[in-house]
Amino acid sequence: MSFNVLIVDDSNTMRAVIKKVISISGFKMAQCIEAGNGKEALEALTNNWVDVIVSDINMPEMNGFELLRSLKEDDLLKNIPVILISTESSDEKIQDAFNMGANGFIKKPFTPEAVKKILCEVIGESNEEEEDSRDDETFDF
Amino acid sequence: MKKKKIVETMRLSIFEVFEKMFYIFLEPLDDENNEYDMEAAIRFEGFLSGEIRILLSKDIAKIMIQNMLGLKEDEITTQAMEDCSKEAVNMICGNFLGKFDSTKVFNLSIPSFDMDGLIRPLTMSSTNQTPASAGINPKSIDPDKNAFRMDFGSDAGGFGVLIAVNGRV
Repeated sequence: MSFNVLIVDDSNTMRAVIKKVISISGFKMAQCIEAGNGKEALEALTNNWVDVIVSDINMPEMNGFELLRSLKEDDLLKNIPVILISTESSDEKIQDAFNMGANGFIKKPFTPEAVKKILCEVIGESNEEEEDSRDDETFDF
Repeated sequence: MKKKKIVETMRLSIFEVFEKMFYIFLEPLDDENNEYDMEAAIRFEGFLSGEIRILLSKDIAKIMIQNMLGLKEDEITTQAMEDCSKEAVNMICGNFLGKFDSTKVFNLSIPSFDMDGLIRPLTMSSTNQTPASAGINPKSIDPDKNAFRMDFGSDAGGFGVLIAVNGRV
């Protein structure tokens, strides 16, 4: 099964990086939709169904927390898993994100493995690589 | 003690960002390198406040973009170099502050970028200004004051960091 991903970041370069990292992580991405801020993300969601949203926090117009709040207030969109991605990694900020309904938090810098692990966790999909490595560990033992 | 912690934490953050995001392995240099073509800067405020400025050669900026995005050299634009430099200083600053004290919340400014090859002095906005932090010539940073400089080399080119923190450390 493949999943539609909405990437929200005000930097074109960062959107391209996140898209590339998801691709090379091995996560099964069907369609990748991009938005430059929370407002554009909400507009994109009127025409597209996505399985998961990966959003930056600090953005102009509508930031990641404001996007999260808008999604949770919308009956049609409130169940879409949201992963916030940020350089800001204080315990309080991360807890705020989860308290507001975020399903995951990715700290920059990130590795493809870490991104895939969180994507699989929030979607409820098994992370085959992790299972393979567990199998290997069992076999070696 | 705090100064040592700042320098060590910053070094770890730089290594982590460069290895994870850009696949570049940096080596600390003993001597200052002044062969830089661009810089990006960010300010931070909170329990600790100050400014971080990164200095990049064009060569390392190109390799960072190539490694991060998989682009060919002729596909690299000035805008991509600006975005990449801003993202790098943002990640280094966020990683540094998180490592320094993850229980504290910091506010980060929007990163700025310049590509004229000039290394600007660090300037501080706080009332806590000291002569050292009010304007620093990177060539004459006093290691006993609250400003630090680190230079790194790599196969990809040179990279430098200037850090200034408000108050005595």
